[in-house]
Amino acid sequence: MSKTCTSRDGVRGAVGKGLTLGVAGVLATVLTANALAGEPERRQAKRIHDRLTGVAPTEAVLDRMEAEINSDPVQGSVAAARIAMDGPNNPNSKYFYNVTLKNFASPWTNEEQSAFVPLNDYSATVIGMIRDDVPFDQVLWEDILYKGADDLLNEGVSAYSSSNNDHYQDMEDLHKDLSDPTVLEREIQSSLNGIPSSATAGVMTSRAAAEAFFSAGTNRAMFRFTLMNHLCTDLEPLKDTSRPPDRIRQDVSRSPGGDSRIFLNSCVGCHAGMDPLAQAYAYYEYDENSGALVYTSNSVQPKYLINADNFRYGYATPDDHWDNYWRNGLNANLGWGPEIPAAQRNGAKTLGQELAGSAAFARCQGIKVYRAVCLSDPSESDLTSLLSASSFTTSYNMKDLFANAADACKSD
Amino acid sequence: MTMTNLRTLCSSYTVAQRVLARSLVALWFGVLLHGCGGGASTESNPVTTNTGNVGSSSYTGPNAQTDDIRAFQLNVWENLRTSSRCGACHVEGGQSPQFVRQDDINLAYAEATSLVELDNPPASRLVTKVAGNHNCWLPDDAACATAITSYVESWAAGTSSGGRQIQLIAPIAKTPGSTKTFPADVGDTGFETTVWPLLTAHCDGCHVDTSPTPQAPFFSSGVVADAYAAAQSKINLNDPALSRLVVRLRDEFHNCWSDCGSDAAAMESAIAAMAGGIAANQVQAPTVFSNALTMQDGVSAAGGNRYEQDVIALYEFRTGTGSTVLDLSGVAPELNLTLSGDVEWVGGYGIRINDGKAQGSTTNSKKLHDLIKATGEYSIEAWVVPANVVQEGPARIVSYSAGTSARNFTLGQTQYNYDFLQRSSTTDGNGEPALSTADADERLQATLQHVVVTFDPLNGRRVYVNGAFTDDMDGVTPGNLSDWDDSFALVLGNEVSNDRLWQGVIRLVAVHNRALTLEQIQQNFAAGVGEKFFLLFGVGGIGGVPANSYIMFEVEQFDSYSYLFSEPTFINLDSAFVPSGIPVQGMRIGINSKLADVGQAYANLDVSVNSTGYDSETGQLLSNIGTVIALENGPNATNADEFYLTFEQLGTATNVVVDNASTAPVPLPDPGAMSAIGLRTFDEINATMAALTGVDLAVVQAEFLTMRQALPAVETLQGFLAAQQMSITQLAAQYCQELTGDSVLRSAFFDTAVSAPTNFDFTAPVGTAFSGGKASVIVDDLYDKMIGLPGTGADLSDAPTRAEIQEVLVDGYTDGGAVASLFDTLTTGCASCDTREIVQGLCSAVLGSAAVLVQ
Repeated sequence: MSKTCTSRDGVRGAVGKGLTLGVAGVLATVLTANALAGEPERRQAKRIHDRLTGVAPTEAVLDRMEAEINSDPVQGSVAAARIAMDGPNNPNSKYFYNVTLKNFASPWTNEEQSAFVPLNDYSATVIGMIRDDVPFDQVLWEDILYKGADDLLNEGVSAYSSSNNDHYQDMEDLHKDLSDPTVLEREIQSSLNGIPSSATAGVMTSRAAAEAFFSAGTNRAMFRFTLMNHLCTDLEPLKDTSRPPDRIRQDVSRSPGGDSRIFLNSCVGCHAGMDPLAQAYAYYEYDENSGALVYTSNSVQPKYLINADNFRYGYATPDDHWDNYWRNGLNANLGWGPEIPAAQRNGAKTLGQELAGSAAFARCQGIKVYRAVCLSDPSESDLTSLLSASSFTTSYNMKDLFANAADACKSD
Repeated sequence: MTMTNLRTLCSSYTVAQRVLARSLVALWFGVLLHGCGGGASTESNPVTTNTGNVGSSSYTGPNAQTDDIRAFQLNVWENLRTSSRCGACHVEGGQSPQFVRQDDINLAYAEATSLVELDNPPASRLVTKVAGNHNCWLPDDAACATAITSYVESWAAGTSSGGRQIQLIAPIAKTPGSTKTFPADVGDTGFETTVWPLLTAHCDGCHVDTSPTPQAPFFSSGVVADAYAAAQSKINLNDPALSRLVVRLRDEFHNCWSDCGSDAAAMESAIAAMAGGIAANQVQAPTVFSNALTMQDGVSAAGGNRYEQDVIALYEFRTGTGSTVLDLSGVAPELNLTLSGDVEWVGGYGIRINDGKAQGSTTNSKKLHDLIKATGEYSIEAWVVPANVVQEGPARIVSYSAGTSARNFTLGQTQYNYDFLQRSSTTDGNGEPALSTADADERLQATLQHVVVTFDPLNGRRVYVNGAFTDDMDGVTPGNLSDWDDSFALVLGNEVSNDRLWQGVIRLVAVHNRALTLEQIQQNFAAGVGEKFFLLFGVGGIGGVPANSYIMFEVEQFDSYSYLFSEPTFINLDSAFVPSGIPVQGMRIGINSKLADVGQAYANLDVSVNSTGYDSETGQLLSNIGTVIALENGPNATNADEFYLTFEQLGTATNVVVDNASTAPVPLPDPGAMSAIGLRTFDEINATMAALTGVDLAVVQAEFLTMRQALPAVETLQGFLAAQQMSITQLAAQYCQELTGDSVLRSAFFDTAVSAPTNFDFTAPVGTAFSGGKASVIVDDLYDKMIGLPGTGADLSDAPTRAEIQEVLVDGYTDGGAVASLFDTLTTGCASCDTREIVQGLCSAVLGSAAVLVQ
């Protein structure tokens, strides 16, 4: 990848040489152009810390990180990155979790993809899993959820509730240190939200995801946004009109506005593959009144059967059995893992395993981490190198991804 | 046609007797099979019971001797007897045949029987004669032909008892014709030198996977094999002009690169050149395929079993050409509608209103007034496809009115809602207040819908959509219709004043002078709309499947661009047939000797036809799924679309179907030149300022939250705004105020070897506090903690130098002239200023600077 701009160019381009001031609204931009000389390792260490935590290091931490890089030209940067993320004795490590990861995951938790949303059980679970080195493919299927420790009740944090976000909002407002395992704790999700363990599917069955993607609609939003957030593709590039349309639900008009060309050339391309996959969510709903995820075992939610007269010969969902028609045809290139037996293809958990088992999932995590750390899109070779260096496709260790991404773009 | 396996003996001519070995009675309700003869596409359009003074007969001759003669009288004779129609000549003493003679209905009937084909009304001599330019009383011959066809169908329906009888006839066995298909290897085609150059030159803005805005299919791929695979579904080798690649340019003006007409011609020419190099294929073994059929080979099953006892105006839009929409109600006077403006006929019966209307005369519209006032109740029924869910006005779908402020009734659309306006003693002359379906229900969808509005004095106005009462209650006490005006006109698709356009497709409109019951509405909803056919695909003899076996589909033209295939049923015309486990797997629909690219809903079919699931009358339904298949030549063209079925397994015959090959994973596009640095974003800025100053985040939380979204949200430098810098400045000032105002934080921050706090008095006047060069000492501390981070070593080499910062903040510098430092600016003439504020200013200048902001 070619990067033509140096950091100094960037500084200069951003602010120019000058100073704006005032007493009430003082400020300033300083700039400079001095020659690059010496201490590249210290600059690299600074950038690694900046990118991972979002804040500048203390001088002491910078000294240690520089020493790590100097001590081992190959793995020193990764070790330095570990200091940035996990210390020890780095007072700013917490910002990797409270700031970087929080803003890394927050856009995945709402349809607007906004980072300006409070901490919630979805983003807290992502943060916790990364902190504890939980293999990240489990994010879409494990019976897992992170919440604040009970002791936080004594510090003004509301008790956890599966019906509102107060607990997480309070943790953010009170700046609780999410890097501390005694503050943010791993829990068994099904013990918190009351759905069967077999119905849990990582963050997809978190309260925040339910509120965002199971609310109203037809539950296709959960599928689409899971694709966007964890396979890094929207539906448009996946359009494959050659898949059998036998599982497209009745609510999809086959002749929108009286023109079936729209269906045959466009709608079917997504729905033929999406609808049999999104059938996995047939028992899920978000209750607007209670504010909680609802799961109705063996009972299809009415939203799956609405507008049945739009095309009465369409598919009437009988259960939550899903199938992946995209294993064949164009979208086989998403790199699906071993096929899950038909008898197990029911519900969101195995769907999560199907999605997380794809090469596209692993690639997506690499892409997202690279963007977060290097502030630009990776090239194919960047991504290949990153995934290889971190052994992500076998370990699914996100911190390794972050560390290696920081290593990859530590220099200009 | 040949008839086989008649279960009951068919001997002579009458409709009743022609019911044959296997016929279907309204298959979609539950099939009852008979057999023999051709099938009549008929409407259950029986005796009209209207007793108003409109349309009554003046016949005084002998009574009809049979029910069939009675049906003839009511449905055909009454409609044709007037002197303005056939009655001008074909009466007693007039021209032969005298099928509308006025003196004796029984004699007229005897004449007429030789002129009609009750099992195939469109083939009746009465129809073909008038279609051949023989004294049509309407503006065009097709309209007259449609009208008489309707009369004959009504006669046929009125004759039979217990519903429509549809006969299954074994079609002539024929194999699929020959067409061109795509070779597997792009190298076997001229694609690379014909079509591909156009695609890569003009469509690569989007239709390539490396585009910033990738749009599938990726037929502009730089890899010719990938482009070829993606383009196949958009190319019609057998008729290049129908290729999607051409249609998009020619008819839809989709991103033409010069002139759409010439661009389309160039594309068509390229496709034709490519097609010219490909030999035509025929479907042949090892493919397992059925016999082939066109729609014309099917058994007509149009209309279903509708409830029309009280219909007073009926529009089915069958004509398909011309500017007249016929009123097929049989209730005189015929309230025919005239099309005006941009209105087009659509396939499968219907009209599309683009920017026009269909309007009747006020004179003939008066029958609505008369017949509805006579009963005091009515229903408006329509099959419609709203073009969108944003039009409002209400946009007029069906209206009996005089303009935007006067009406008897209107069925309209306001976005997702149906509106029902009606003049009565409890509403105003414009029919308001209207009854509208609830916003939240979003009853109206831009798809084919059956909508009925009813009024009766007991229940008031009601709206039914797709056979269900919407539960929207009329807020107005039901009144009477005594104030209706008989000078209004019936109009579809707009107001008579042309200023309330409704866009969409209308496929049927019926006005009844009774409020239909829910059951009647559901009956009409279930009957559907448009012309349906039963297609019997012969599969006997394939893989050991017994003779006379068929896969029967219900097929209709769905709209102008597709067919609907539904109710696939395995059936054997031998009533004694008992299946013994015939596997049917992977069924696909072929059209014109190639498999349809889109819509293979039965590709996953895997059923066994066996004695348990098979019924000797109804066969065995293979799937309750229906699918739409793209129309190519149309059902009626000289080269009508020809269908066939293929199977991965049928009986013992098998055929391996190879799925489309996957393409290689798409590599990420090269991101191009990117800045190696970026901005810190909102939370990062806040955390950085907290970390650098030691101020607790909670202390500045309120201020931060007020400006959080005004801080940079993305890292890219190009997005940085002056307003964001102001917010950063404010936040920096806040942190520095907390830092300089808190003695503990102050001590921690400034407590270095070069500036012990005891050596700097924040409470002293400026002149005292900064004496001895202490401003530089303060700035040194700021530099060390926020920019240089020297630690045990040297300052960061890519940061502004210590000297530069000292220049800007304390010493001053030259830049085309002397520039005062910030310190001098703040302190000049201000010996009594607050020292802490001066330090705060210096701190803010550093903390809010690019040196801190950039990561």
